Amino acid sequence: MHRGDRQVIHMASGDWLNIVGWSESFTSWSMDNVHDILPSNDIDMEVTIPSTWAWPDPITIGPIFNLQQGFASIQPALESFMHATIMCTVVFTVMMLTMLAIPYIERKFIGRLMDRLGATTTMRSLWVGESGVTAGEWWKQLPFGMGIPIGWVVNLLNSYWGNSHELETVSRVNNRSYHGYWFLLPGFFQAFADFMKFATKEHIVPKNADKVVFEIAPVIILATTIMVFAFVPFGPHIYAANPELSLLFMMAIFGVAPLGVFFAGWASNNKYTLIGGMRSAAQLTAYEIPLLITVLGVAVLSGSFNIIEIVDFQMGQNEGNVWNIFLLPLGAVLFLITMIAEVERIPFDMPEAEAELVEGWWTEYGGIRWGLMFAAEYMRSYAACILFALFFLGGWEAPFQHTLSNLSTVGGTFEAVFSAVPGLAWVLIKAWLLFAVFVWIRASLHRVRTDQILEFGWRYLLPLSVVNLVVATILRLEVWTGEPWDLWVPVTLTLAALALFVILAIDEDEEALEVQRRPYSTQAVVKASPGSHRD
Amino acid sequence: MAEMWISMGPQHPMTHGLWTLKVKVDGETVVDTEPDLGYIHRGVEKICEARDFTQITTYCDRLCYASANTWSHSYIYAAEDLLEVEVPERAEYIRLVAIEIQRIASHLMWLGAYGPDIGNLSVMVWCLREREMMMDLLQELGGSRMHYNFPRVGGVKRDLPHGFAQRARAKLKLFLNRIQEYEALFDESTVFLVRSQGVGYAKPEEMVNHGVTGPNLRAGGVNYDIRWAHPYSVYSELDWEPPVERSSIKGADCYDRYRVRVEEMRVSASLVLQALDKMPGGADTYHEPGDPMILAKAPARAPEGTTGAHHFEDSRGESMFYIAGGGEGRGKQPYRVSIRSPIFITIPFAAKCMIGYKVADIPAIMGSFDPCIGETDR
Amino acid sequence: MGKIVPIKTQRAEAEKLAAAISEIDGVEAGVAERVSGTNPRPVVLGNSSPESWRALAEALHSEHGIDYCSMVTGVHWPEGDGDKKWEVVYHLMRTGIRNPPIEDGLVQPVIVDPSTVEGSDTPLELELHVYLPDTRTPSVDSVQDIWVGADWNEKETWDLVGIDFDGHQGMRRVLLPHETPKGFHPLQKQHRLRYHGFQDMYDDSQGFMRKPADVGKIK
Repeated sequence: MHRGDRQVIHMASGDWLNIVGWSESFTSWSMDNVHDILPSNDIDMEVTIPSTWAWPDPITIGPIFNLQQGFASIQPALESFMHATIMCTVVFTVMMLTMLAIPYIERKFIGRLMDRLGATTTMRSLWVGESGVTAGEWWKQLPFGMGIPIGWVVNLLNSYWGNSHELETVSRVNNRSYHGYWFLLPGFFQAFADFMKFATKEHIVPKNADKVVFEIAPVIILATTIMVFAFVPFGPHIYAANPELSLLFMMAIFGVAPLGVFFAGWASNNKYTLIGGMRSAAQLTAYEIPLLITVLGVAVLSGSFNIIEIVDFQMGQNEGNVWNIFLLPLGAVLFLITMIAEVERIPFDMPEAEAELVEGWWTEYGGIRWGLMFAAEYMRSYAACILFALFFLGGWEAPFQHTLSNLSTVGGTFEAVFSAVPGLAWVLIKAWLLFAVFVWIRASLHRVRTDQILEFGWRYLLPLSVVNLVVATILRLEVWTGEPWDLWVPVTLTLAALALFVILAIDEDEEALEVQRRPYSTQAVVKASPGSHRD
Repeated sequence: MAEMWISMGPQHPMTHGLWTLKVKVDGETVVDTEPDLGYIHRGVEKICEARDFTQITTYCDRLCYASANTWSHSYIYAAEDLLEVEVPERAEYIRLVAIEIQRIASHLMWLGAYGPDIGNLSVMVWCLREREMMMDLLQELGGSRMHYNFPRVGGVKRDLPHGFAQRARAKLKLFLNRIQEYEALFDESTVFLVRSQGVGYAKPEEMVNHGVTGPNLRAGGVNYDIRWAHPYSVYSELDWEPPVERSSIKGADCYDRYRVRVEEMRVSASLVLQALDKMPGGADTYHEPGDPMILAKAPARAPEGTTGAHHFEDSRGESMFYIAGGGEGRGKQPYRVSIRSPIFITIPFAAKCMIGYKVADIPAIMGSFDPCIGETDR
Repeated sequence: MGKIVPIKTQRAEAEKLAAAISEIDGVEAGVAERVSGTNPRPVVLGNSSPESWRALAEALHSEHGIDYCSMVTGVHWPEGDGDKKWEVVYHLMRTGIRNPPIEDGLVQPVIVDPSTVEGSDTPLELELHVYLPDTRTPSVDSVQDIWVGADWNEKETWDLVGIDFDGHQGMRRVLLPHETPKGFHPLQKQHRLRYHGFQDMYDDSQGFMRKPADVGKIK
């Protein structure tokens, strides 16, 4: 069967959830059956299709026309088409279904952070509701008293870093007990309800808006966002397309959305949206470049522009593989920051800052157009999380997969477990955890001003991303030997990065502390002055 | 890009109330501003000419709804000046407790609105939660969560409820711990410092000439406070100092105004705790409403020709009531009530402060001056 | 204990100031004692003729350090006697505030100890009345350039009471809508409140459906 040389990538990793393989074998099986059914005798016939406006010359089929052979000549194209359609649908469905977790995480996690319930209760509240039981001592629900030591640990941690609920009158506003189903449902259907509301709202176009551009802008944003997911592999065998340069394609498409944003801001005939659109265009352009250079660093280190090969590089040929985050910690942090700026989340959400611009560049959009653009923003966050998981966190590899599988006695069990769990699960877990980090950042930081954002991007992130590229190049050319990494390489790099972070994070100015009588110390005497103000 | 006028308001998430700020921008820089007030002008001064002195207290609560007790007390002191009433000392202590708890609640409301202006949404929920504690205390005192109608001419309407002192002490102790969490979220966040330092400079002499007082003024490095300059109530008997902030060389910026209010919350909490300890008659005794320990008899009429005025340290500055007696009902109603609102004067000043900064600084600057439109428009 | 400005100092300063400004033509001032609740406080209470108001204001600002204009109130006395048909009440204060000094590149906050203030740093309160005779266009000299704090207070006084201020730049409606008809100043006594007395409200058969008497005429 002709299937064409679609795959030039040699995949080193795999698991049983081989949807691409199933789809390919299904399409080839079905096309083969069609081929076999068709009559294989030559038909003596000459058919001429006259020319029309669509084709100027007449088309002649025949004089000898063999259906089976004719079908065989178009069969590869037909198989590719069917396979592509199936995979696109599958991937889109997987993406939408797994994305349901994203607004859920955002809502729940932010809510609990605002409740100040403490870290363990916050995390736990993501998967368990609280019917009747207050958001307090969840460990008591575990059977056989397993929760008692957990309770000790939690109480110890809370006594140092938590909140003690001393008074009922304070706890009364912290106390939420849900009536209803315990599993997931409290708040789970909010996303559906929101979407239905958006879908049924009226479509209003401002009077003097440029109608064509106004309508095109959401199409651009949404289409490019969804197209990004065509290249993102959810698992080793779940992807819609896997060209050799999938990374380049994906980053290129990711970067088209700012154009749509600018169109939206300008076309609405509204000064607010114009300002918001311009801010957004400036910000997204400014952060595209460090993002691309960071991703280039990852690609250089991994030796390929194909995402699956990048993940395979992290999984290693034999043992001693290392996730990229330990080799390029600076790159991981840069990727995180630039991605948060690219998807316009707090602290970088000045273009849609509600305090000043109502909703920024999407003020004038209502109904399903706004709903889909809002969904597109979450899709982009989701894509950012999945990409981080793929580039830096080893993709579909379980933590310490090789080490655990090669242990002496229990290795076999681990190996069995790892081969039973599809890679998709690991990717999703990592992406969701990372999204929880995004939400955490959003809940605690303030919004940075536009000129400060731009300055930060151009003056700090861009040089740092170049440094990251240099580090990646040195690692690849000088240190990498084709064999799995020596242990000292990632350990040194990670420790160096941590040390640098600790040194930069502790910037207490003790003397200024005394002088200023301020309880916390950052930048006490020398005021921060990025951006230009009148004196 | 050419200069253009943007109209922020009247419905706008930032404006802390119903008013319009027209801003002329050149790109992202603010070139000129023009505030437009009066959207909720309810004619309180005119209405008060047809109300008895006791009835006016309810209107004064609604002047600044975020800080209702300070306004009704501001009126009551002026009415007591007009009617020449001497107030029992226990009533003054109770009033002080109410005023200072209200000040804490007002500053918490401000902080809870200032965070989202700058972009931090968590702190809004946290501050409103603490404010719930203060609202509970005020509800015990005044009867409702927002408009308390607490003072009467000559005293207060009710004594401290049973167990109030104990609950207030516990809540304030918890609150003093919780303030550190807000400070952590603001002061330890470089993003906040970068947004609020170096923005919105104002110097004290300029502020005074423009009519700005209160925490906005103390952020500039001077400790002027009406509570010691023109003393009233029992502040002289308690150990306190108005918090002052060491401002930047160019004047008070948004960060200083934020810090002053956080310190003011601490000072107010300590004032309440001291007042509860020093209450004449003890904080746990309860007197029936109308008892001479908490309410003195007051005349109901002010003859024509009498006037009363009182300057009061409101949460936002200096508020003043001027009442001319001799109105309807042979003096049962005032002839003229004139209300001085600090924010009415601060808003044009804040609008001037914004010139030269970016559009993104507008909520930071405006929010740091703590506008409340209820008292502006009266 | 909390320190406050001693009342003796304030009283002495008030009397000094009252004596000083009484020397200006057309001004008479004295010290009144106001009692709010439990604390008495001295207030400089003065009358000024409209002609000498400007001179008085300038003298107060330049010689006596009155740096803060708290409120400008306008009152309409249609039944006032003689020349007192319109009244403008100025509440001014002396705060004694100076810009804090800068040493070593740091601002040194000025912490005034209230119990030790003396002389021209003493906080003072003034209440000055300017009476105007019967006229359809009452007006007083503006002090907008002396104390900027009087700016919006003067706008409000004109807007609500109708007393104009000579030399005021940018006079406009501030609390009433911009397109309020000229000549409508609600705090004048000829404009009555609906349901001025409560009984009217209960006795009104039309109740809340009643339209105001000037419906359609005033916006």
